[in-house]
Amino acid sequence: MNPFVRFLTSSIGRKYVMAVTGLSLTLFLLVHMAGNLTIYAGNQAFNDYADLLESNPLLPLAEAGLAGLFLVHVAFAVGLIARNKTSREEGYKAELGMGRKTVASTTMWVTGPLLLVFLLIHIWDFRIAKELVEEYDLAEMVVERLKSPIGFGIYVTAIALVGLHMWHAFQSAFQTLGVAHPRYRALITHTGRLITALLVAGFGGIPFYLFFLG
Amino acid sequence: MTIADSPAGSARLDSKVPSGPMSERWSKHKFDLKLVNPANRRKFDVIVVGTGLAGASAAATLAEMGYKVKAFCTHDSPRRAHSIAAQGGINAAKNYKGDGDSVHRLFYDTVKGGDYRSRESNVHRLAEVSVDIIDQCVAQGVPFAREYGGLLDNRSFGGAQVARTFYARGQTGQQLLLGAYGAMNRMIEAGRIEMHTRREMVDLVKVDGIARGIITRNLSNGEYERHSAHTVLLCTGGYGNVFYLSTNAKNSNVTAAWRAHKRGAFMANPCYTQIHPTCIPRSGDYQSKLTLMSESLRNDGRVWVPATKGDQRPAQDIPEAERDYYLERKYPSFGNLVPRDVASRNAKTVCDDGRGVGPTGEAVYLDFGDAIRRDGRAAIEARYGNLFEMYERITGDNPYEVPMRIYPAVHYTMGGLWVDYNLESTVPGLFVLGEANFSDHGANRLGASALMQGLADGYFVIPATIASHLAGRVLEDVNTEHDAFAEAEANARGRAEALMAVNGTRSVDSMHRELGNIVWNYCGMERTAEGLTEGIAKIRDLRAQFWEDVRVLGDPNTVNQDLEKAGRVADFMEFAEVMFHDGLTRDESCGGHFRAEHQTEEGEAKRDDEHFAHAAAWEFQGEGELPVEHREPLSFEEVKLTTRSYK
Amino acid sequence: MIQKTGHGDMKLTLEVWRQAAPGAPGKFETYEVDANEHMSFLEMLDVLNQQLVERGEEPVVFEHDCREGICGSCNLTIDGKPHGPRERTTVCQLHMREYRSGDRIRIEPWRANAFPIVKDLMVDRSAFDRIQQAGGYVSVNTGAAPDAHAIPVAKQNADMAFDAAQCIGCGACVAACPNASAMLFTSAKVSQFTLLPQGQPERERRVLAMVETMDEEGFGNCSNHYECEAACPKAISVTNIARMNREYARASLKRR
Repeated sequence: MNPFVRFLTSSIGRKYVMAVTGLSLTLFLLVHMAGNLTIYAGNQAFNDYADLLESNPLLPLAEAGLAGLFLVHVAFAVGLIARNKTSREEGYKAELGMGRKTVASTTMWVTGPLLLVFLLIHIWDFRIAKELVEEYDLAEMVVERLKSPIGFGIYVTAIALVGLHMWHAFQSAFQTLGVAHPRYRALITHTGRLITALLVAGFGGIPFYLFFLG
Repeated sequence: MTIADSPAGSARLDSKVPSGPMSERWSKHKFDLKLVNPANRRKFDVIVVGTGLAGASAAATLAEMGYKVKAFCTHDSPRRAHSIAAQGGINAAKNYKGDGDSVHRLFYDTVKGGDYRSRESNVHRLAEVSVDIIDQCVAQGVPFAREYGGLLDNRSFGGAQVARTFYARGQTGQQLLLGAYGAMNRMIEAGRIEMHTRREMVDLVKVDGIARGIITRNLSNGEYERHSAHTVLLCTGGYGNVFYLSTNAKNSNVTAAWRAHKRGAFMANPCYTQIHPTCIPRSGDYQSKLTLMSESLRNDGRVWVPATKGDQRPAQDIPEAERDYYLERKYPSFGNLVPRDVASRNAKTVCDDGRGVGPTGEAVYLDFGDAIRRDGRAAIEARYGNLFEMYERITGDNPYEVPMRIYPAVHYTMGGLWVDYNLESTVPGLFVLGEANFSDHGANRLGASALMQGLADGYFVIPATIASHLAGRVLEDVNTEHDAFAEAEANARGRAEALMAVNGTRSVDSMHRELGNIVWNYCGMERTAEGLTEGIAKIRDLRAQFWEDVRVLGDPNTVNQDLEKAGRVADFMEFAEVMFHDGLTRDESCGGHFRAEHQTEEGEAKRDDEHFAHAAAWEFQGEGELPVEHREPLSFEEVKLTTRSYK
Repeated sequence: MIQKTGHGDMKLTLEVWRQAAPGAPGKFETYEVDANEHMSFLEMLDVLNQQLVERGEEPVVFEHDCREGICGSCNLTIDGKPHGPRERTTVCQLHMREYRSGDRIRIEPWRANAFPIVKDLMVDRSAFDRIQQAGGYVSVNTGAAPDAHAIPVAKQNADMAFDAAQCIGCGACVAACPNASAMLFTSAKVSQFTLLPQGQPERERRVLAMVETMDEEGFGNCSNHYECEAACPKAISVTNIARMNREYARASLKRR
C-alpha cells in the first residue's frame, strides 16, 4: 500500500490529522480573538481592523485554507467517531468509568457537531449577510447581533462549547503527536488550559460587554 | 509392593549418560548424536504440550530449526503459563561479578543443594548452558536489571555464596516467558508453529510402542481432537496442586504427565516436593491458593513465635523475653537464613507445638521491627516496599506496624516423569522438559534454578537431543485414522462421560480440598511410615468416594470448568498414591523428603546413601494396582557426598 | 479457630452476567452470597459456585489462574470498573474488605467487539496474541546471540523498557476504554523494544505491522481519556501511547 494512504487510513494517522488541523484551528482562533478585541477600542477601531483584513489580496486564499482545515477536521472526526461508537456493540450495563475521563473528553463528539452548527450561523451572520447588502457597518452588525437575547445566547453558548472542546483537545493533540513526557505532561495540560481560558475570556467578554454595557 | 530390580539398577532405565570427563560430556554427546538434515526437518511434525518456559522455548527453537511444530496450551494465550509467576531470578555461571563463580561451582552447588539425589551429568550440562540462556534472553530484549554502567546486575539468592542470579525486579519469570512467547509468536507468524490454545491433552497416542500423537479436548466446545506427529514433548509443569493449596496456579495439573504415565512413561521420585517457608498463611477454609513472598524477606525479618503455648496476646504486647526466635536459637550461625526445608520444618514444629499465631494457629511471625529501628523505615521500604504492599493488600495488616505472618507452602515439585540424558522418557519418542521431568534438582531445588532448567531444556538441550529419536529410528507414516487414535480418543471421552455420569452430591473442589489435606498431613513437610501407610488407605477411600459422589454439572460441549477440574482431580487422586508409595519406599530423609524416623540428633535430614542413592522410577500396572519400582543408581564422581550442616 | 464454612458475616447481592455461548443472548442473574473480609474476590465467587453446585445449578464460568496478579487471566468488570475499585490491582488481588455487608455488586465480562464473549464472564482475547505475532519480538534465533555484556543498555532506558514490559495482557485497558481501544496494550510492547538497542533493527517494521493488526482486529481509536492507565493493574503509563504515535509517524515517513 502507498505509505501515505496507509498512514491516513490508520487509526494513528487519522488522529494525527485531527491533531494537526485542530492545533492549526486553535492558532486561527487566537488570531481571530485578537482581532475581535479591537471592539473594546470602539466601533471605528474594529471596522478599521476588518477593512485591513479585507483589503488583503490573500484573504480568499486564507479563507479557502481555513475552510479546508475545518472540512478535514470534521471529515476525519466523522470517521473516527463512527469507529469508536461501533467498537463495543454490546455495551456495559453498569456505567463504565475509572474516573480519568472528563466531561470535556467524553463530549468531543457532541461539542464538535454543535460547534459546526454554530460555525454555519456565524458565517451567515458576519460573512454572508454582509454580501447581501449594499452597505454595512460590521461593528454595528456585531453590536446588534449580540444585543439581541437570542444572539447573545447563541454566542455565549458557542464560546462555552469552544472552551469545553479545547479543554480536552489541546493536550490530547500533543499526546497524539507524540509530544509527551511524564515530566512535561502537566506543563502541556496547563498550557492548553491557559490558552483555553484565554480564548473563552477573550471571545466571551465581548458579548457580555456589549449586552450589558454597550 | 514389588521392587523390580536389584540394587544394580533396572535394565529398563538406560540413562544414556555419556562417558568421559564430566566437563566434556555434553560436547561429546552432541557430536555423537545423529543429525537431521535441514532439508528433512520440515518433514517432521513435533507436538509440544504446554507453553511455559520449557515448552515455549522448545517450540520456538525447533520451529527456527525447520521442524513443523504444533503447540498446545490450556490457557487462552500461551503467555499465561505459570512460569510467569516466578519472582526471584535465574542463575547463570557468568561470573560477571568476579566473585569466583564458574560452571563447576554452579554444578557443585546444585548437586549439593539437591542433597545428592540428582544425576551429575545432567546437572553439569545445566550449569554449562546456563550462560547461553542469559545471552539468548538479552538478545531477545528481556529487560534484566542493569547497573548504571549499562551492564547486567546480579544478586546473591537463596543463600548462595556468589552473586549469580539475574533478575528483572520481582518478575523474572514473566519477562523470561514473554521473551520465549515472543520467539514463539515470530514462528507462528512465519507459519512454522501451529498454535492451539484452550486445548487440554487428555491422552497420549502410541503406535508400535512409539509416541506418535495426542488427543486433546477443546476447552471451548468440548470437542475431542486427534493430532499426530513424529514426536511428542511434554512441558506441562509440576504436580504441586495435588496438595490443593500451593503457590501453583489454579489450573496447574498433573493430567498430561499422568496420562503419559498410564501409557508407559515411568514416574520418578514423586515424593520430592519443595515447601517454601515464606508464604502468606491461609485465612480460612475457602482459601483457594497460597501466595509466595520472596525469600529475600528473611534477610532482614526475624522469625519468632510466643515462648508459651496458647499465648493469645497481639504481637506487640508480647515482651521480648517471652518471644522465641527459634531459628536464631537453634541455628546460631545461619539464623533466619537457613535453607528452605529447614526453615519450613521448624515452622511446622512450633505450630504443632501449639505456639502458632494468627486465627488458624498455622503461622509464625516474620518481624521487621528491629530492622526498621536499625536501618529506618525508608531503607526497609526501598528493599521490600512492593512485597509489603502485596502483603497488606492480601491480609489487611500493615507489616511496618505489626509483624508479618508467614507459613510454609508447597511451591515446586522436583519429581516428575523419568527421562534419560536426552530428556526422553521410557516411552520412545516422548520427551519431557522442565518441571514435568525429574532430572536436575534431585531432592531439593535451589532458588533461581527452576527458570534456568526450563529454558536450558527448551532452548539448548532438546534441539540437539531430539535427533536421537528422529534420525535414530525408522518412523512409519502415521495418520489420525490409525486405530490407536480411535482407541485413545474413546478412552478419554469415556473418562469424561463417566465423570459427568456420577451425578453425586459433592463439588469437585470440596473433594480436591480433602485430597489436599491428606497429602499435606501425611506427605507434607514431615513423613512417617505409619502416616504414609494410613494416607494411602485414606486416598483409596477418597478416590472411591469421588467416583461415587462427585457432581459435575452443565454441558460437556461448551466451556465446562468443573468438568476440566474433575478430570484433573481424578488424576491427582491416582497420582497421590504413587507419591505416597515412593515416600514410603524411600526409607531415608533427603532434601524435601523428610522422614521423621531418619533424622540426626539435631533434627536434620539423615540420608542413607548406601541404600538410597538412586532415582526411583515407578511403572504403572493398571488402575488400583500397585506400581512397580525401578531404580536408576546415581553415582557421584565429581561431588563428594557430605552431610549438610547449618549450625 | 478456622472459619469452618468459608461463610462469613458479609451478606452480598451479586448481579452476574450469564451467557450460554458466543452470540447467545445474555442476562444478569441475581445471587445472594455470604463472604468475609479476608476472602479474595475470586474466592467469594468460588463460594458462590460451591452454592450453585450444591443447588444443582451450573456454576459461573470466569477466567482465572495464578491468583497472584501476574498471569493476566482474570477479567471482571465490577460495577463498571475493570478489575474493580482499587487501582493497580487485578481482580484476583482484590479482597472483600473493600466491600461492606449489604452491598450490591454487578459483575460483567470485558466488553469489546474485539473480545467476543465465550461463556458467562469469559471472553476471547486472541486478538492480543495476533497483535503480538505481527511484530512483538526481536528476531533472533536461539544460539545466535552475542555475549550478554556485548549490548550495554543505559539503566534509565532499561528501567523504562521494564516499566512497559510489565504488561500482563489482561485487556483491562480495552475494557476500560470508552472506545475499546487497544493502544495501551500495543504501545507497551512497541515501547519496550523502541527503548532497547535490541529492538532497533526492526523498529519501523514492528510498529507498522502491530498497529495495522490492531486496526484490523476491530478495536476503537484512542481519544486520550486515559481511562486505560487508571484501569491497568501494572499502571502502565499512557506516555507509551505517545511514544507509539511518534514511532508510527516516524516509521511512516521512513519506510516505503
